[in-house]
Amino acid sequence: MPIEYGLNEQQEMLKTMSRDFIAKECPMTRVRELMKDETGFSPELWKKMAELGWLGLVFPEEYGGTGMNFRDLTILLEEMGRTVLPSPFISTLLLAGLPILAFGTKEQKDEILPKIARGEVVCTLAALEEDGDWWADSINVRADRKGDQYVINGTKLFVPDAKVANYMLIAARTKRTENPEEGITLFLLDTREVWGILSTGLKTMDETRKQYEVVFVNVPVPAKNILGELHQGWPIMKQIALHTTAALCAEMVGAGEKALEMTVAYLKERVAFGVVIGSFQALQHRAADLVIGLEYARSLMEWAAEAIKEDDPDAITAVSMAKSFCGDTCKKVVAEGIQMHGGIGFTWDHDMHLYFKRVWASDTAFGDGSYHRELIAKALDEIHQLAGHGRWMKMPGRITQTG
Amino acid sequence: MAVEETGKLDALRQEIRAFLRKNLPKGWGTPEYVAPERGSKEAHELGKQWQKKLYDAGYTGFGVPKEYGGIERSREEMAVIREELTHTGAPPLAGSLGPSIVLPTLLRYGKEWQKKRFIPKILSGEESWCECFSEPNAGSDLANIQKTGVRDGDEWVVNGQSVWTSGAKFADWGVAPVRTDLKAPRHRNLSYFVFDCKSPGFEVRPLRQMTGDSEFGETFFDNMRIPHENMVGEEGKGWYVAMATLEAERGGGFQFLAPSRRIELTSLGGVDNFVELAKNTKRRGKVVWEDPVFRQRIAQFAIENEAMRYSRERMRVKAQKKQTTGNEQSISSIFSREKNQRQANMVAEIMGANIQFMKGDKRALDDGSWAYTFLRTRGNTIETGTTEINRGIIAERMLGLPKSRA
Ligand SMILES: Cc1cc2nc3c(=O)[nH]c(=O)nc-3n(C[C@H](O)[C@H](O)[C@H](O)COP(=O)(O)OP(=O)(O)OC[C@H]3O[C@@H](n4cnc5c(N)ncnc54)[C@H](O)[C@@H]3O)c2cc1C
Repeated sequence: MPIEYGLNEQQEMLKTMSRDFIAKECPMTRVRELMKDETGFSPELWKKMAELGWLGLVFPEEYGGTGMNFRDLTILLEEMGRTVLPSPFISTLLLAGLPILAFGTKEQKDEILPKIARGEVVCTLAALEEDGDWWADSINVRADRKGDQYVINGTKLFVPDAKVANYMLIAARTKRTENPEEGITLFLLDTREVWGILSTGLKTMDETRKQYEVVFVNVPVPAKNILGELHQGWPIMKQIALHTTAALCAEMVGAGEKALEMTVAYLKERVAFGVVIGSFQALQHRAADLVIGLEYARSLMEWAAEAIKEDDPDAITAVSMAKSFCGDTCKKVVAEGIQMHGGIGFTWDHDMHLYFKRVWASDTAFGDGSYHRELIAKALDEIHQLAGHGRWMKMPGRITQTG
Repeated sequence: MAVEETGKLDALRQEIRAFLRKNLPKGWGTPEYVAPERGSKEAHELGKQWQKKLYDAGYTGFGVPKEYGGIERSREEMAVIREELTHTGAPPLAGSLGPSIVLPTLLRYGKEWQKKRFIPKILSGEESWCECFSEPNAGSDLANIQKTGVRDGDEWVVNGQSVWTSGAKFADWGVAPVRTDLKAPRHRNLSYFVFDCKSPGFEVRPLRQMTGDSEFGETFFDNMRIPHENMVGEEGKGWYVAMATLEAERGGGFQFLAPSRRIELTSLGGVDNFVELAKNTKRRGKVVWEDPVFRQRIAQFAIENEAMRYSRERMRVKAQKKQTTGNEQSISSIFSREKNQRQANMVAEIMGANIQFMKGDKRALDDGSWAYTFLRTRGNTIETGTTEINRGIIAERMLGLPKSRA
């Protein structure tokens, strides 16, 4: 199927339905209640999302899902971004559900996926450690073989929704060689079945998404709980990163668009010097710049989602491009959002800072703009070499400066 | 895709390659090739001939109804054509304003005879056009046009002046909004005409630009007569026709070729040149491509190109669903033109002192084309409506903010 532009009828429906649902079930007042809650998790909301079919959206029917695609999923994520929805949705589906679907054994899938779809469980992934960077070298939590099981020791950081997660994927080091991408293994753990896992809430900026430190002390895991192959966890993590990054882009674009709408509404309402501030051209032109940024952020995000949906080899490029552009743009939108609101925009009671914090938190995850731009530069280098190096240099009058 | 279709596309590819081998200017793409002077009559004629050849072969002229000379192709075929032409770095089309702004205006507001008479020759490149909109006191404030037209039988007698008229010196035809009602208020006093540039009383005086070239000029209308039937749209409604022209212009003109899906060959094309430049330039002993600052900037342009490509397609689909108003064009107008400038600035910074060499100096890289582009992009954010005016359109018409105050 070719890449589709714009939404089809079914997607339009999904969008309207999800917007209505979230407005009713989780308005900003409820968001703020959940922020104060230690886990930020509402089991009732989770159940309702399951009833709507959201939690099994991208699973095949045999696992209780509805077999929709990745682009459909991003439509939900955009809507969730619009209300900075506190929910373990990304943790459960992107960080755990999809990789289990793609790499799990029949037993693993049978055990977990239907439970996710029914809203009975929450899942997450413990990957990052002290430096908070997503790269193989910093995975140092160890899993040592003892008989027919592994024993996990070490500390993970920035683990989302750890406290409410029934299942946790853990990226652990099973072997250290010269290549840090070798020797990482993913383990699937039922957190209620074992002792030795200690999750402590982290005090972080974005209170709509709770993160934890997770300490593992001699936690035993049977060898059958490995996801994929022993030592071969990194390629799975690359796919997790690819999908989750695209998901975060969708969320960021949703948040950015909502932040701009709030700002424009305020520009039309707030009076200074006897006129609404939206009539000041200095502000008008800056608002216009945000419209421009969001058009291209959305374009790249949609392309990335379509490319993933189509299993297109360009997906890797598309996601990197989307992440750097969506991050940069949405950070600007939320910063301008605060500025154009004046003093009120700086208060705790105004919602803009919630968007500001969510966007910045998402931007730090899975590599920021400069990280992804460097990946693109590397890709350009390869393309350049493939495309017949030197073609352009034969143009008339070319003086080669370095020979 | 069906095997049969793939076969057809491959055949088309071979056909284009054979066409190019046969028709490209002698020596094209080799050091022996001597391009005609930029902006010269010769260069203009070459562009026209090339466009005619492409049109006759069915490689341009898409998206226009058949009865007006349009060529029908599937999206896949268009993509193949674009790929092949871009890949060879085939010569540019005539670069007239005909296809980009006159054609869409006529399609929307033209009388049947006007469409039949003018559009085929716009597509084939046989006739060139100019746009006499801006006047000394009507630029951003276009509604302040002072050119007058007085009815005399079947004709209108036009007096006044335009300025910054691009391509006027080679144009066969022109378009101009004219004040045909001296009493009516702004926006309701104009009528829109197409006119023959050979008409007595029409005069072009070239103006020199900061690049040293004279793409544009002043144009004078001295009792010039235009037949009444040349009016496009209704009398007194010329402002709306002019808006259609500006809308097409802001959108970067008419899309002849479907954008390709392939990232390697097309939109990265321009960026590939930057990579090449950066790899072949050393500053203080260090290859520029190894400098993370420049790598980041070049990568950013690749990202922005892809964003523009997808956005264009989004807009196309939205337009089909009638979900656009035309104001969206201001988004791509601002973004692409400012990007051009940022790119040129970056190139200048990569080249350092060497950017100063202009055409004619033996040290000039690519015969001064980078230096030229660097200067030429200054005009990008002014021509077709300044970026300030376009930001105003987004703010007022898309965001619904009130009319602006200082
Ligand atoms: C290379 C080139 C080719 C051109 N080709 C053509 C052509 O073929 N045909 C044609 O008719 N015209 C052509 N033009 C003219 C072009 O359309 C005008 O120059 C342009 O619309 C600006 O008008 P102006 O020059 O009168 O500047 P002004 O309108 O005087 O503007 C001066 C400055 O004031 C700003 N400004 C004006 N009004 C506002 C406002 N309301 N809010 C904020 N800022 C404002 C402008 O953005 C600009 O920065 C061309 C121009 C260039 C540079």
